[in-house]
Amino acid sequence: MRYAYLIAVREYLENVKTKGFWIGILLFPVILLASIKVTRFLEEEATPTRNFVLADFTGELEAVIDQGLNRSHQWRVFSAASDYVSKHTRKEFARKQIEEMDLEKIPSSVIDAMKSMRQEEDARFEGFLNSSDPKAWIRMMADSGVLVEDRPDFESPRPKFSRIPTPDWLDMNQSFKEVRALLKERLDESNPSDEKDLFAAVVIPDGILTPSKSNLLQLMGARPKEVEYWSINQADFDLRDSIRRALDRELQRRLYATEGLDEELIKNIQSDRVPVVSLDPKKKEGEEEVSLADTIRQYVPIGFVYLLWISLMSVVQMLLNNTVEEKSNRIVEVLLSSVTAGELMAGKLFGIACVGFTMLFAWIAALLGILHWHAGPEAEFVTKLLDIIENSGLLWIFLAYFLMAYLLYSGIFLAIGSVCSTIKDAQNFMGPVMIIMMVPLLTMMFIPKDPHGTLATVLSWIPIYTPFVMLNRAAANPPLFDIVGTTILGFVSVVVVIWLAGKVFRTAILRTGQAPRLVELWRWLKG
Amino acid sequence: MTDALILESVSKLYGDFQAVDSLSLRIPRGSVYGFLGPNGAGKTTTLRMILEIIRPTSGTISVLGAPSALQVRDRIGYLPEEKGLYKKMKAWSTIAYFASLKGMGRKAAKTRAFELLEQYGLGDFAESKTEALSKGMQQKVQVLASIAHKPEFVILDEPFSGLDPVNQEVMEEVIRDMSSAGATVLFSTHVMSHAERICDRFVLIAKGASLFDGTVDEAKALMPRRVLIESAGDLSSLEQLPFVKSVQEDLNQPGLHEYRLKPDADPHHLLDAAYEKGIRLTRFDRSEPSLHDIFVHMVGPEAREATVR
Repeated sequence: MRYAYLIAVREYLENVKTKGFWIGILLFPVILLASIKVTRFLEEEATPTRNFVLADFTGELEAVIDQGLNRSHQWRVFSAASDYVSKHTRKEFARKQIEEMDLEKIPSSVIDAMKSMRQEEDARFEGFLNSSDPKAWIRMMADSGVLVEDRPDFESPRPKFSRIPTPDWLDMNQSFKEVRALLKERLDESNPSDEKDLFAAVVIPDGILTPSKSNLLQLMGARPKEVEYWSINQADFDLRDSIRRALDRELQRRLYATEGLDEELIKNIQSDRVPVVSLDPKKKEGEEEVSLADTIRQYVPIGFVYLLWISLMSVVQMLLNNTVEEKSNRIVEVLLSSVTAGELMAGKLFGIACVGFTMLFAWIAALLGILHWHAGPEAEFVTKLLDIIENSGLLWIFLAYFLMAYLLYSGIFLAIGSVCSTIKDAQNFMGPVMIIMMVPLLTMMFIPKDPHGTLATVLSWIPIYTPFVMLNRAAANPPLFDIVGTTILGFVSVVVVIWLAGKVFRTAILRTGQAPRLVELWRWLKG
Repeated sequence: MTDALILESVSKLYGDFQAVDSLSLRIPRGSVYGFLGPNGAGKTTTLRMILEIIRPTSGTISVLGAPSALQVRDRIGYLPEEKGLYKKMKAWSTIAYFASLKGMGRKAAKTRAFELLEQYGLGDFAESKTEALSKGMQQKVQVLASIAHKPEFVILDEPFSGLDPVNQEVMEEVIRDMSSAGATVLFSTHVMSHAERICDRFVLIAKGASLFDGTVDEAKALMPRRVLIESAGDLSSLEQLPFVKSVQEDLNQPGLHEYRLKPDADPHHLLDAAYEKGIRLTRFDRSEPSLHDIFVHMVGPEAREATVR
């Protein structure tokens, strides 16, 4: 035991002492944070205002399009204002606000409400945008003392797109064909990163919105003319969508008018909703409504499955590398003259397991550290989330499944490491193992939707997937039979795998040269 | 006192391949024992069996009085044939780690590591990572790692390979130091000059079987004695002497003859006979056979045939 311990200590220190290990640990939360911050920054600051030109053959839609774009811009101003407020809210207010927010009480339907807010078509939202003035709102918040004193002034984001007036080179008296040829040529020469250049051109043929009263139904889907959207960047749909929405709206407005319908009335009708409430029969009388916390609990396991996968991969990779290093350096011979193969294996497994737990705890600590340092309302909210996670016991379930998965996969990787003399050899074996390991990642998004379905149940009973899938299902209260059964099966498989890995390890670790053929491997397993 | 190592008809089969063929061996305590043989003779396999890294197919092994090396592993030191170290570990901590695996306390192991590095000229490199050391230095570190715990019995597999002549002498010094401290040393090599200089006894194996086991002098006695005689006179009377086995004249140098004597014959008798018969010799050269000659003589044909695994 003492020797296994010494080996474990060395494995642990050698891995934990490397710079790469700590860089990896710090990188994880930093990248997580950066991926949020950077995309936001790119969206708000880094993209220049893009210019586009409108060639409108109807001669009457300029205002419609400007209005539509302004509406999209308004939305961005509003969300910037709301970010500004939450960023500069006095800490005690923010804290209080979040403390008072009880996720267990908030119905899960707020998610739906938030989703429909995002869709600008939502008629309710239009009314809200028209009536609100972000600057006045900020002033009001400031006056009531919610915001901190020393804060920068609120700056509205710049418009994302700007329509330039019809340039001199574009003669709207030319034919549709000639105009589009001209625009095509101009756009072709444009540089996507140049602010002064053209980003897009919109060509609206004449008569596009002229409805024919006689046969409205037929008209839909069979409009003979199209609005042309030319752009040097076909991946950015924002402009195209804003224009399309504006034109759709205008078309609807005109149709209502021709049919003699009251537009306001229709808007009101459209924005009415039937309230739907989700209820959970398992919850207590009077508290059956599914809360936001319930929904979070349902989806949090996805994060854990991902964390499990990433940490497992890095850890077993270490184990593989160390084993191959010892084998290719022949250090293993010296080791085996001092300790038995069993002690060596136990030491390695234990040492690397400790590395894995260190990594997990360091990740959590780094994440909390960054949140604390970046303290804002988000940090409070995350604490709230962590409370939910902690109370649900998911963390302990996660650690238990991490242990099971680690022992299972480390056995497999240790065996692979012991039969391979070089990392290159090992990679050949790794390929198929990786593909097999990808399965829980591919299914993790679907399992919470149908946590007791056939897919989830079948995968739960395959030992190499048990830790992932059962963790995935954990929040949905899987049947006791599944929990107990798969756990027993899982730990039996751990024992079998470690035992078999031990056999391969003992035989293979001293062998040099070619990796063994499958027949040989089979012989070792039997012998 | 029992012998440090006793092998009794030890065999090892790899499938159909007979790596070691009923080898018996006794190594008295405190001796420096050479383990010689051509490539693929089964030296490394035998050493691994002694250390119980692998098990023999049949036969018994007793190490330091114990039936298994595992029971006395803290008293054994081992340097494998192929050398390698943890690249990222420092020289001193490598030595200290292997010493601690042999039961030394951590502090004692550390002190000992620095001591040894100082003693063998690596004091300045104690804090260097092993990957930063030259190959020769790495090998020295490994040798020191295998003896840091002051083992009673040291097994060195090809300790001289890959060392420059200066470091080969350092290695001989290490072995002598160990021996004078009372340790038993068993080392394998195929460079005969080292064996000749430092071995008390040696065993020569080929194809897994022992060809010779004894002292260097005993081995030399087994060799047919060669004497070179150069003379302008008639040597035919010498050729008739009973202890002369065969005579060969050098075709390139007329008058130069190589006499092969029967075992146990004393070359002096040949000189006496020439004197008696009044033959004037211009050259009489009784060269002692070197261990190299013995090696080539004993295993020459087999070494060529041996298939290297």
